[in-house]
Amino acid sequence: MSIGREEVRHVARLAELAVRETELDRLVDQLNRIVDYVAQLEQVPGEAASEPFLPGPHSVALREDTPAPVPLRYPPADMAPEFADGFFLVPRHGAMEEA
Amino acid sequence: MSAAAAARATGERLASADAAGLNATLHWSQRLLDAEAARIEAAATRGPLAAVPIALKDNIVTSEQPTTCGSRILDGYTSPFTATVVDRLRAAGAMVAAKANMDEFAMGSSTEHSAFGRVRHPLDADRVPGGSSGGSAALVAAGVVPVALGSETGGSVRQPASFCGVVGVKPSYGRVSRYGLVAFGSSLDCISVFGRTVDDATAVLGAISGADPLDATTLDRPPMPVPPVRRDLRGLRIGLPKEYFPADLHPGVAAGLERTREAILDLGAEVRDVSLPHTAFAVPTYYIVAPAEAAANLARFDGVRYGLRRVGPGGDIRALYQATRGEGFGAEVRRRILVGTYVLSAGYYDAYYRKAQRTRALIAEDFRRAFATGVDLLLTPTTPTPAFRAGEKTEDPVAMYLADIFVCATSLAGLPALSLPVGRSEGLPIGAQIIAPFFEEELMLSAASAIERAVPATAEVR
Repeated sequence: MSIGREEVRHVARLAELAVRETELDRLVDQLNRIVDYVAQLEQVPGEAASEPFLPGPHSVALREDTPAPVPLRYPPADMAPEFADGFFLVPRHGAMEEA
Repeated sequence: MSAAAAARATGERLASADAAGLNATLHWSQRLLDAEAARIEAAATRGPLAAVPIALKDNIVTSEQPTTCGSRILDGYTSPFTATVVDRLRAAGAMVAAKANMDEFAMGSSTEHSAFGRVRHPLDADRVPGGSSGGSAALVAAGVVPVALGSETGGSVRQPASFCGVVGVKPSYGRVSRYGLVAFGSSLDCISVFGRTVDDATAVLGAISGADPLDATTLDRPPMPVPPVRRDLRGLRIGLPKEYFPADLHPGVAAGLERTREAILDLGAEVRDVSLPHTAFAVPTYYIVAPAEAAANLARFDGVRYGLRRVGPGGDIRALYQATRGEGFGAEVRRRILVGTYVLSAGYYDAYYRKAQRTRALIAEDFRRAFATGVDLLLTPTTPTPAFRAGEKTEDPVAMYLADIFVCATSLAGLPALSLPVGRSEGLPIGAQIIAPFFEEELMLSAASAIERAVPATAEVR
C-alpha cells in the first residue's frame, strides 16, 4: 500500500497537525517505509476479529458504578470569582451578549 | 551521611555531570535538593530509602519543577499535582534529585529525539545511551544517582539499561500507579526503575508498587515485598526462547548471554529451549498499537490547555491547534501521530489496528504457553547490539524501531522483565533480559540478584 502527498495532508488534518510543504516528500517516504514494515502482520494467520487486548489476568478492574464526588485538589470556590450553594455564579443569560 | 550532606553531594555530582556535557538533566537545583533534605530531616521516621537521591524521567510530574516530556510543546508547564510514585518515594525517605532528559514524549530508542539535545553515553560520548529513558539511565551509569525512575511503553528502560550497563526493571502492567505519568500508550505504559544493582532497584520498586485509587489500572495487590536472598538457582527452570538467539546476533551479545547461561547452570538451575513463535511480529504490532494510542493521548496538547501556543494563519481555533502542534512537536512525535491517525482512520482500522490487537493476543499467548511447559523464567538478550553511534539510525525510523526487537513483546504482553549487565564487548555494556510470568517480580528479582553475584558485569566477554 502506498501513501501519497494528498493522503499525508489528509491524515495531518485529521490529527490537527500543520505540515510544511517542504517536509511533505520526506514524510511521504518515511510513512511509506513504516506502513510497509508494519504491513507484515498480513502474514499472521487468522481473521482480524479480536477485542482490544488488555494485559493482565483480570484486565481492567472496574469499581462499583456508584456516583461519588470527584476529589478536587482545590475547593470549587477557589476556581471562580463567585461561588455559592454549590453553584458557580455567572452573568444572567444574555447579559454577556453585545448590545 | 545526613540528608543535608547527601543533598550537597548530589548537587555536586549533578553539576559535574552537566559540566561534562552528559546532557542527562532537564531540571534540578540545589535549593530544591536542600528543601528535600530539610523535609527528610524533619520527618518523624527514617524510611527504607532515607536520603537516597532519585532522578525522575521528565514525564513524571512534580508540583515543584517543570515537566517538559522532552518537548517544546510543554514550554513553561508545571503540574499542579505530584505523581503517586513520587509521593511514595518521599514517604520512604527518598529525595527527588533531578528531572532527567528523555526522547520527546518517550518516543525513541536513543534519546536523540529530545527537544533539549541528545544525551551522551557515559562511557563513549559519540554513542547513544539508548532510550527513551536515556537521561535516567545515564545518570545512574555515571554514578550521579544510585537509582532513577523511567517509563516503559515498549522497552524504554530495559534497552537503555542494557546500553549503559545498569539494571533496568519493568514491572507487570498494573503493579505501579501511573497517576502523574504523562500518557503515551495507555495499554502499555509502566513506570520502571533503574538501579546500580538489582537490590537497589528492588528497594525502589517495593516502595512505589501497590494499588492506587487514582489509577484504575493498578491491580488490588499489596506492595511488592523485598524478596528473600537466593544463594543459588536450584529447583528453577530457565527457558531460552530460540527466536531471541538469531544466527546474526552481535557476537559480543551472544558471548555475554553464553556467559550468563553457564552461570545459571553453575548456580544449579535447569536450562531448556522454548519457542515464542510470534516474536517476529512484536515490533510491527507495537508500531501500530503504540502510535494509535499516542495519537489519541497527545490530542490534549493543543495550545489551549498547556504550554506553547501558536496562532495559525487562519486565526481560528483549528489553525491554532495545527500551528501549535506542528511547531511544538518534534519530527518523531509528529511521525508517530500521523502513523497512529492513519491506522485508526476509516478504511485502515481493520487492516492495521484490529489485526495488531489480534497479534498482540497471540504474542501474549506465546508467553503463557512457554511458562505452561514448566519454565519459571526466560533468559534472552536485551538488545541485538551494544550501544550504537549517535546519528546512525535517526534518518531511518524502522532501523531505530528494531533496536527494541527483544523488549517489545513483553511490553505488549504486560509481563515483568529486567535487564542485567553481564559483561562488556569492546568496552560497551551487554545486557541479559530475564522475563517472568505476570506478577512474579519477586522470583525474577531474587534470581537476577543471584546471577548478578555470579556474572562479572564489567568484564570483557571475550
